[in-house]
Amino acid sequence: MTGHTEMGIKVVGVNHRTAPLDVRERFAHGAHEVPGALARVMAAGASGGVLLSTCNRTEFYLVADDEPALEAVWSLLGERLPTSGPPTGGAREYGYIARDRDAVRHLYRVSSGLDSMILGESQIQGQVREAWEASRAQAGPVLHRLFQTALHVGSRVRTETGLGMGTASAASAGVAVAGKIFGDLAGRSALILGAGDMAELAATCLSDQGVQITLVANRTQERARAIAERLGGKAVSLEEAWPHFATTDIALCSTAAPHAVVTWERVGTIIGARRRKPLCILDLAVPRDVDPAIAQLENVFLYDVDDLQTVAAQATARRRDEIPAAERIVEEETDLFWAWYGGLGVVPTIKELRARMDDVRATELERVLRQLDHLSPDDRAQVEQFSQALLNKFLHEPTITLKKAAEEGRGYGLLEAVRRLFGMEPPA
Amino acid sequence: MIVTLHLVALALYGVATALTLAPFMGFRSAPRALTIAIPCAGAAVHVVAVSQLTLVGLGPALSMLALCLVLLQLASERLLRGSAVSFFAGPLATGLVGLAILSGLAPGAETVGARNTWFVLHVALSALGLALMALAFIAAALYLLQFRELKARRFGQIFQRFPPLERLDQLNRVALVAGFPALTLGVLLALGYGAQFSGGLHVAKAQIVWGIFTWVVLGWAVWVRVVRHWAGRRAALASIAGFCAVLLVYVALKLTLPGAERFL
Repeated sequence: MTGHTEMGIKVVGVNHRTAPLDVRERFAHGAHEVPGALARVMAAGASGGVLLSTCNRTEFYLVADDEPALEAVWSLLGERLPTSGPPTGGAREYGYIARDRDAVRHLYRVSSGLDSMILGESQIQGQVREAWEASRAQAGPVLHRLFQTALHVGSRVRTETGLGMGTASAASAGVAVAGKIFGDLAGRSALILGAGDMAELAATCLSDQGVQITLVANRTQERARAIAERLGGKAVSLEEAWPHFATTDIALCSTAAPHAVVTWERVGTIIGARRRKPLCILDLAVPRDVDPAIAQLENVFLYDVDDLQTVAAQATARRRDEIPAAERIVEEETDLFWAWYGGLGVVPTIKELRARMDDVRATELERVLRQLDHLSPDDRAQVEQFSQALLNKFLHEPTITLKKAAEEGRGYGLLEAVRRLFGMEPPA
Repeated sequence: MIVTLHLVALALYGVATALTLAPFMGFRSAPRALTIAIPCAGAAVHVVAVSQLTLVGLGPALSMLALCLVLLQLASERLLRGSAVSFFAGPLATGLVGLAILSGLAPGAETVGARNTWFVLHVALSALGLALMALAFIAAALYLLQFRELKARRFGQIFQRFPPLERLDQLNRVALVAGFPALTLGVLLALGYGAQFSGGLHVAKAQIVWGIFTWVVLGWAVWVRVVRHWAGRRAALASIAGFCAVLLVYVALKLTLPGAERFL
């Protein structure tokens, strides 16, 4: 991370590596909160901003000076921490800052899934797109370009490497296994036993694939009802769920029961009545919810959490092998962005600056020559030549400095300064 | 020229098969585009070769069968979005082309009417019917292997590379249902050709027995799937049993009946 403090690209935030879940939950911003949060940071001096907020990260991407825009972010996040309890270092304690090239690389790694909790997961690509779209009005040209290219980098990594191959969580492994039985899962039916976080996550994964969640069965109806309403199913008691084993395609079991609840006695005959129609049972509970004897039925495919973690682990191992290839793409694209960013508007700005200065020179020269009308044509030419040489001398150093800064990827901040100092319009 | 073209097709099919099977031998998977482009190139060469063949005798029949199988493999790969069918179809087609070359591709003595449209259609449709039956067998074999892995909770190469059970079951059904009318038309065209142009069927009795047996077996396989609604493992086992019976009867007839030298 570089230490300079001029206007440049910054990312400031927290993620699953730096903050525990309860802190990340507090920092998470809903879509409706994004414009207000960005407006506060922009008021503190940022010229562009995008807020990426998922369950695993809350990150502000800014075009800003180090201070006070970054201070505004820490203050904004700090307000979400509980006021009671022992004093802490505030939001800063959980966060990180990356600047310029590191910030660009960071976003590219995020959109590729290299920085995700589940390596190579693809959901983040959509979340990056949504963040960009939600912040479109405040992003500014540099961040527009940065997010646009980040999506391109994410696609490249997923297309050109195997980083997104297979499934890397137990819940998504369950979906993959069900897919190996039924093919397209759209239109299949599933019943959910249990209403804990794992059940909800796995049910959401199934629902995302077009599976119709018909029933959510749980000992306490209230929680089951909340999940059922969200996923379009019906909340029932466990006892009411057993007959549905005759018709459902997928049964997802994740109760907190201390012993098997799906027993041969309860569902053996019912499943037998399905004749040869396959039934996929995903038992995500520990201890297991399903009596292993049920797997003896020919049409039953039973998988417990160990099986699904095996599938997920295989995928993760394969994905790890792809990290070097993915990092190469990220580095390549970071170089490209940096070259664009470094040279952003340098040539037109230098041209415009020279033109403006030349206008001033010409106006002043004309004024002076009007007063010195006794000068011979040769002398007038000498004076004009002198004014031209003087202008070139004045502009030589700034031109060289701007070009050098552009080559080093620091052009944008200096350009902004030049444009402000000489009253030029901001670059398109 | 015909032999050379067959050798080129054989080489391309061989390379495609090696690329397809490479992951099972611990090598890296070849790019999907390559595993499709090479058999496509082989099929293109093979089409040119078959168009120059006189479709009489075992060699040309095997060549035609191999070509139908490769074309069906390419079509089903598109349908299944995976290359699993080629795990079986690739080696089978390669072997069939090799056998065709060994059996001799030059026409035998009986070439009268071999360019007749009815006759060419009879050979082409019969080969297509048999190739579809082979495809149904392959889908059934893939189904049983994937079924076994899923039941045993093994998540290795078969789990990862083979298509879902449901899709394999559909492929088996489609192949059988399409194969039956093709073979039926092939048989009818043979009868029609015999009556119309040859004044009767001048082929070995064994060929007629085998042709009718194959037609009956395929008809039975379609009947249990469509009328009796067999599906899944039971239907896969039926397909495999039917295909094996057809092969066994062919070998038995070839070895035992008189006139076998003229029999396919």
